[in-house]
Amino acid sequence: MKALHDLTIKKFHAGLLNKEFSALEIAQTYFARIKEKDEEIGAYLSLAEESALRAAEEVDVAIAKDENIGDLAGVPLAIKDNILIKGLPATAASKILENYIAAYDAGVIKKLKLQKAVFLGKTNLDEFAMGASTENSAFKTTKNPYDTTRVAGGSSGGSAAAVAAHFAVAALGSDTGGSIRQPSNFCGVVGLNPTYGAVSRSGVIAMASSLDQVGPIAKTVEDAAVLFRAIAGKDPQDATSVDVDYKNFTDPRLEDIKQLTVGLPEEYFISGTDQIVTREVETVIEKLKSLGMKFKKVSLPHTKYALSAYYIFVPAEVSSNLAKFDGVRYGRVGTKREEKLKDIYLKTKGEGFGQESKRRIILGTFVLSSGYYDAYYDKAQRVRTLVKRDFDEAFKDVDVMLTPVAPSTAFKIGEKANDPLAMYLCDIFTIPLKLAGLPAISIPTKSAADLAQGELPVGFQLIGKKWREADILGIGQFYEKLGS
Amino acid sequence: MAGSSITKHELEHLASLARIELDPKEEERLLKDLGDILEYFKELQALDTTSVAPMTGGTDLTNIFREDMEHENTNRGAGVEAFPESQHGYLKVPPVFEE
Repeated sequence: MKALHDLTIKKFHAGLLNKEFSALEIAQTYFARIKEKDEEIGAYLSLAEESALRAAEEVDVAIAKDENIGDLAGVPLAIKDNILIKGLPATAASKILENYIAAYDAGVIKKLKLQKAVFLGKTNLDEFAMGASTENSAFKTTKNPYDTTRVAGGSSGGSAAAVAAHFAVAALGSDTGGSIRQPSNFCGVVGLNPTYGAVSRSGVIAMASSLDQVGPIAKTVEDAAVLFRAIAGKDPQDATSVDVDYKNFTDPRLEDIKQLTVGLPEEYFISGTDQIVTREVETVIEKLKSLGMKFKKVSLPHTKYALSAYYIFVPAEVSSNLAKFDGVRYGRVGTKREEKLKDIYLKTKGEGFGQESKRRIILGTFVLSSGYYDAYYDKAQRVRTLVKRDFDEAFKDVDVMLTPVAPSTAFKIGEKANDPLAMYLCDIFTIPLKLAGLPAISIPTKSAADLAQGELPVGFQLIGKKWREADILGIGQFYEKLGS
Repeated sequence: MAGSSITKHELEHLASLARIELDPKEEERLLKDLGDILEYFKELQALDTTSVAPMTGGTDLTNIFREDMEHENTNRGAGVEAFPESQHGYLKVPPVFEE
């Protein structure tokens, strides 16, 4: 039996074809490990053992019949609990959806089911994907596998912790302002936020629709590339999704990579970032220079306004997207049968939503309300234009950009839980590019094996041009080959 | 930018618009949090945006149409089991026009 610590999508696929193990054996091994160890971490909200083992057996039958199987056949995945899998719970870590069972498959799940992937369970998140630590989950806080007194990050903290703790080979998360990249950064795994429109959001519980994207969390850049390739593409159920002619991402050529110029935006190398983060990112730059890559300083002058703009128009979108959770069609909380309609609304939302959800709904209602709309919502959308123009300008000179992912390593549980503004500032490097709809990846500076005892993971971020995931995935794969 | 804090009266109005019941402790906390957040937003005042068009979404795409074709729904009736109250497979709600 292969050690789960060593397992990647690629190694799993090879092992399966070489009959080193069966898909069923591996799935069973994962469930045994999760049951033994997840109590300590809290990565999963629910497990799907029955359906997962059945799906794994089907893959084994296909192999026995010598049928052709894809890269993801039998691969045990963890899925963030705001992504719908038919017949399984989809809570978005909210009390309001505690008993909700998904009635259909999300677009990304349909694609993965065609590839015969195996879904082990649904992972924890901040309620409705709003937060940077999973402390806003109505059910539990996911702990960082490297130090259980610290957060796993958020909102996709459950998915990132599941991959880091070897509770799944890879996972899906969703990223609105950093929710894939920031927890990946804290947990020492790879997280990709695709270009806006690259991946379907059908069946993904919406937070801020002008930003939400689903993406992979994996142990290696190559695995992230394989998983991204599988979920990308047009879905008739999401009108913002686009058919892009993506090629295979897993065979980048060094001569192509060397042609790329990397921009270093000066606004991202600021005081206030922890020394360890700065030092690690500088080491990455030196290593990439040794590959022959060229670097250039660039400027994104409106960076400091991006966070404010984001926290104005995102709550506006949230207040509209979460309005449907009113206790009428599902998720009624705290009321008896024959109550008046308005009381059902008031009580369901009052008791069902957590603090951060309420904060954003009220703030969103405020910035959209008559008298304040121009000063806040409209202003924020104009600032979004300025932030996007910054990137358009800078990308005339460079092909990709390299930055830190977050100003610090994983913080202590409880450290920022009562200070929403401090929590919002965690996303200072991950938010601005989202306003422009760009792809970005978070990659650990060191592999898990190279981390010293007690050392916390740090990542770096590569930002690409629209639809140019190939550039950041390519550089990432060469970086990983460099070793330490 | 308009005043950077929300009064208790305004908060109650917003909560009522959003149909959220807040207890007094929550109100107190929200007033403080929203005050801090709105204070932070003040930095945007320094920025002149009069000649900038607002970016109203995440995509440049316009008019994405699909063929108007017949297709069979294989998932009919799904979702009914999530209804808090139902009758004969229909969603049951209290009277709407009754205060």
